[in-house]
Amino acid sequence: MASASGRQLRAMLRKDIVMELRTKEMIMSMGLYSLLTMVVYFVALSQAGSNFDPRDIAAGLLWLAFIFTSMLGLNRSLVHEKDQGCLEALLLSPVDRPVIFFAKAGGNLIFLLAVEALTLPVFGFLFLQGTHLDWGSIALLPLILIVGSIGMAGVGTLLATMSVNTSGKDFVLAMLFIPLMYPLLLGAVTATGGAIVGGAQGVSVFWTGMGWVVGYDVIMLLASYGLYEFIVGA
Amino acid sequence: MTEEHQHTLALEVRDLTRAFGVRKALDGVSLELPVGAFLSIFGPNGAGKTTLVKVLTTLLNPSSGSARVLGRDVVSDAVDLRTHIGLISHNPLLYPDLTAEENLLFFAEMYGVEQPHVRVSELLEAVELDHRKLDLTRTFSRGMLQRLSIARALLHRPEVIFLDEPYSGLDPHAMDILDGLIAQIRDSHTFVMISHDLDKGLELCSHALILAKGRVVLYEPREAIDDAAFRQTYRSTVGMGVS
Repeated sequence: MASASGRQLRAMLRKDIVMELRTKEMIMSMGLYSLLTMVVYFVALSQAGSNFDPRDIAAGLLWLAFIFTSMLGLNRSLVHEKDQGCLEALLLSPVDRPVIFFAKAGGNLIFLLAVEALTLPVFGFLFLQGTHLDWGSIALLPLILIVGSIGMAGVGTLLATMSVNTSGKDFVLAMLFIPLMYPLLLGAVTATGGAIVGGAQGVSVFWTGMGWVVGYDVIMLLASYGLYEFIVGA
Repeated sequence: MTEEHQHTLALEVRDLTRAFGVRKALDGVSLELPVGAFLSIFGPNGAGKTTLVKVLTTLLNPSSGSARVLGRDVVSDAVDLRTHIGLISHNPLLYPDLTAEENLLFFAEMYGVEQPHVRVSELLEAVELDHRKLDLTRTFSRGMLQRLSIARALLHRPEVIFLDEPYSGLDPHAMDILDGLIAQIRDSHTFVMISHDLDKGLELCSHALILAKGRVVLYEPREAIDDAAFRQTYRSTVGMGVS
């Protein structure tokens, strides 16, 4: 059974990646939105005084962009499944519902990380040029991006499944997703801020935030895993 | 359930109810269908036909009562049951951004079909789509999509095939192909078909069911049906709508 689930998980992931590489719908919309957000930030902060240190707010700006960008992709990922009743076909196959959850969340995670990898250098170029950076702690950034994105993709996939059948799915997803992201956002911004500021204190702050996000991921992924069958069958 | 029942009954539905909020889409439906039968389900819009098929195909859980397909409970044996049933809907249930071959190979993997490439080629040939196997299904006509949908539903060699208005929107050629495919496998499979076409439904069926307001109005084997009386009963339910 475990090997069957593994085979089904790989098949679903491969299918999502093939379809995305073909249509580029999620990557294009999320990537473009994320880059435009960076430009808007840059313009909005261009009049800040000389005492303004972008490192103070960099983490918040970054995660704000990621949260809103992820919502754009999450809805699309489930809309693909609703097209022509594909979700029904998937549910008709002998697959455990949590396998569908992990496959969809896995696909969303991959696309989210791809967009983050695209956004991060642009953000660094626009906001952190010329500022003192501790490259040792900056190297920790991918870690919090990955762990934070796991939580976003997991909870987002569950909520997108809930909202995909509703008439105002974008609104419903936002109303549910943003409040549930609050604890993750706190931890992720703390950890990212610590990594950007650097030094011994920054690294210590990083691990505190990181612990918070890991705890959030474990609790929310377990809850999503447990609830998915009920939500899909409702 | 006795061993004999497991081999002779394709469907065993007992006092099945499915409610959406306060509205009962199915209200105490009971029926038995032998293996190898062809059941045509008729009824007005909102009668509960699709809900019944969704419960029998494990897509919806019953609110109360029970349903067994090939002796397997639709709730507790759902994962096992799904390997024995197939659904051909008026919706193609195919990914528009995958090719015909990719769609079938994906579902073959989901069902754990042995030698998937061989089986997929065999089915693409059967539905006369082998020449279009590398084309995205979003470029397919309605008839082609429905033929591919039939191939998808037959991939894992299901024993019971559910058809939800399968002729809806098909051109005469596609209807002929669907008729031919059903005729080919008619003797070795059990069919449950929702239809609004009384002539087609009665022509194919061995058993006929009329639902209205989620309840069974009439359920009889074909040989016991008087066509004129059946049509009269059917007409009397049209317009009854939902409960």
